[in-house]
Amino acid sequence: MHAVDSRPNPAEAPQAPPPRHVARARNRSQRDSRVAWLLSLPTLVILIAMLAYPLYRMIVLSFQNMRLKELFSGATPPWAGFDQYTKALTDGVFWGVVGRTAAFTVVSVTLSVLLGLGIALLMRRVHARVRIFMMIAMMFVWALPQLVAAQSFRWLTDSDFGVLNYVLTQLGFDYATHSWFVNPWEGWAVITTLVVWAGIPFLAISLSAGLTQVPKELLEAATVDGASPWQALRNITLPILKPLLMIVTTLSVIWNFGLFTQNWALRDGHPEPVYQTLATFSYTQAFGRSNYSYGSAIAVITVLLMLGVMVFYIRQMFKIGEVD
Amino acid sequence: MAKHDEGVVTVGRSRIGTFFANTTGIVFGLVMIFPVYWVLNTAFKPDSEVRSFTPTFFPNEFTLDNFKSALGEELFIPSMINGLIITAMAVACALVVGFLAALAIARFSFYGRKAIILVILAVQLVPFLALLIPLFLMLQGANLTNSLVGVALVYLVLLLPYTVWTLRGFISGIPRELDEAAMIDGCTRPQVFWRIILPLTGPGLVATSVYGFIQAWNEFIIINTLNNPQKQNLMAWLLYNQTERGTAWGPLMAGAIITSIPVVVFFLIIQRNIATGLTAGAVKG
Repeated sequence: MHAVDSRPNPAEAPQAPPPRHVARARNRSQRDSRVAWLLSLPTLVILIAMLAYPLYRMIVLSFQNMRLKELFSGATPPWAGFDQYTKALTDGVFWGVVGRTAAFTVVSVTLSVLLGLGIALLMRRVHARVRIFMMIAMMFVWALPQLVAAQSFRWLTDSDFGVLNYVLTQLGFDYATHSWFVNPWEGWAVITTLVVWAGIPFLAISLSAGLTQVPKELLEAATVDGASPWQALRNITLPILKPLLMIVTTLSVIWNFGLFTQNWALRDGHPEPVYQTLATFSYTQAFGRSNYSYGSAIAVITVLLMLGVMVFYIRQMFKIGEVD
Repeated sequence: MAKHDEGVVTVGRSRIGTFFANTTGIVFGLVMIFPVYWVLNTAFKPDSEVRSFTPTFFPNEFTLDNFKSALGEELFIPSMINGLIITAMAVACALVVGFLAALAIARFSFYGRKAIILVILAVQLVPFLALLIPLFLMLQGANLTNSLVGVALVYLVLLLPYTVWTLRGFISGIPRELDEAAMIDGCTRPQVFWRIILPLTGPGLVATSVYGFIQAWNEFIIINTLNNPQKQNLMAWLLYNQTERGTAWGPLMAGAIITSIPVVVFFLIIQRNIATGLTAGAVKG
């Protein structure tokens, strides 16, 4: 599977080959190794300079107290030990943000995965033309830039001229000039709808590709043997779909936990406290209040909270690779 | 309908069930597409219809005024040009640098290969916004804030892991026998890369750069943080436009359409690669 030059010649491998061959092969593989590292070098340098080093800076920063003064003077910020972390962990506002982000993630991921799976299953059942229509609709939604999608939802839910209020009023509810973001539950319902709506295409299309791996004969056999559609789904389709389902769910968790664009744009770039998530909170602390160290500490905590999910995702990717 | 369905209907699938499935599918499609339609609908309406308490579901009067006024905004065209420059720089660099690393991972077995793969996979998951604080301070120190190069550098890092990963997949797909045949015919290793692998990776390079374009074009938070209003891209312009002028919905939606067109077109061209790249980019050792 590896580079062809380093593969020992099968005819020679079992017996001890002449030393000269061994030496040459070793030289070759050493040279290969050097060439490979040389080719990877630019990528590694960039990743170290622009990713590893900032990561290190962020961690150092979170143990300091950097404010606007240090930014302008360029002086080394004073050491603060665990102050920033203590500040965060003893602050009710911070815990509110953590709880809100987590709750949003659970709700939005559950909804979008269930709906995505439902749509994927539905697409197997419908007429070919309906399926094409569904695909086209989803493709456009998927292709739409996040910010444009958020802007369109802001317009749909506009209190004065938004079409949502108009339609609801026509249906007999009094929603004229109703503002959707006064009540946080309603506001979050809008944000969640936006995220789920935007997330369904990826999930439904990936899962429907995965569903083609489920052998039709197996499902038909099960039906002939008297299995209900539900039993066939639970005992045949879902187990086959499981690895893919795990990966798309994990990705959704990672994406939705980092929610920024949607609540940022829907709240005009100034989310009120009840609309803050970890990402916007860290950003606001750093760039809104010039509290760079506190923002860094929150970012570090966010990464730590996500670490488990990320490790799980990478392991899953490797696992699938080994299965292939 | 019935004629078409006869072949499709399998055991336990009633005609009523199929009817419900089709209806649900159509309703779902309509609900999904509605916000997109509403953006288009708004952009082509005159202001009197946009700011109306009884919205029209199809413009009574069709107009291009909103597009004119968006294009006429002071910073619209400059933002578009900035975006194109930044995106081109980031994508070109990511492609060159990423192709080399992809070659190494796909065609060599070497000590540390698994580690590099692990790093490439892991950094794609780092919430990039978390790094924005130190990146901002670094670029500020290097005098690269408020410059297109600084933003392009950050976007390069944003694109690089995905670029390496995708190109690796494309290169792995080229049969090794071709390399071997070329080498037997007297090609050197570099010649194999240049004359065999690079041309055959062509479609992969196109797909990867298009995806990179989409990523860089859609970004607005980083550029918004690093640069002043004169040096923004179109996405950031959309954000500025919303916060500072109240909202002129018609021109905003027209601007959103202009901004989205390249992305949507490119996306529809390469969508297959995006779907498989995210999930099935399995690690082949």
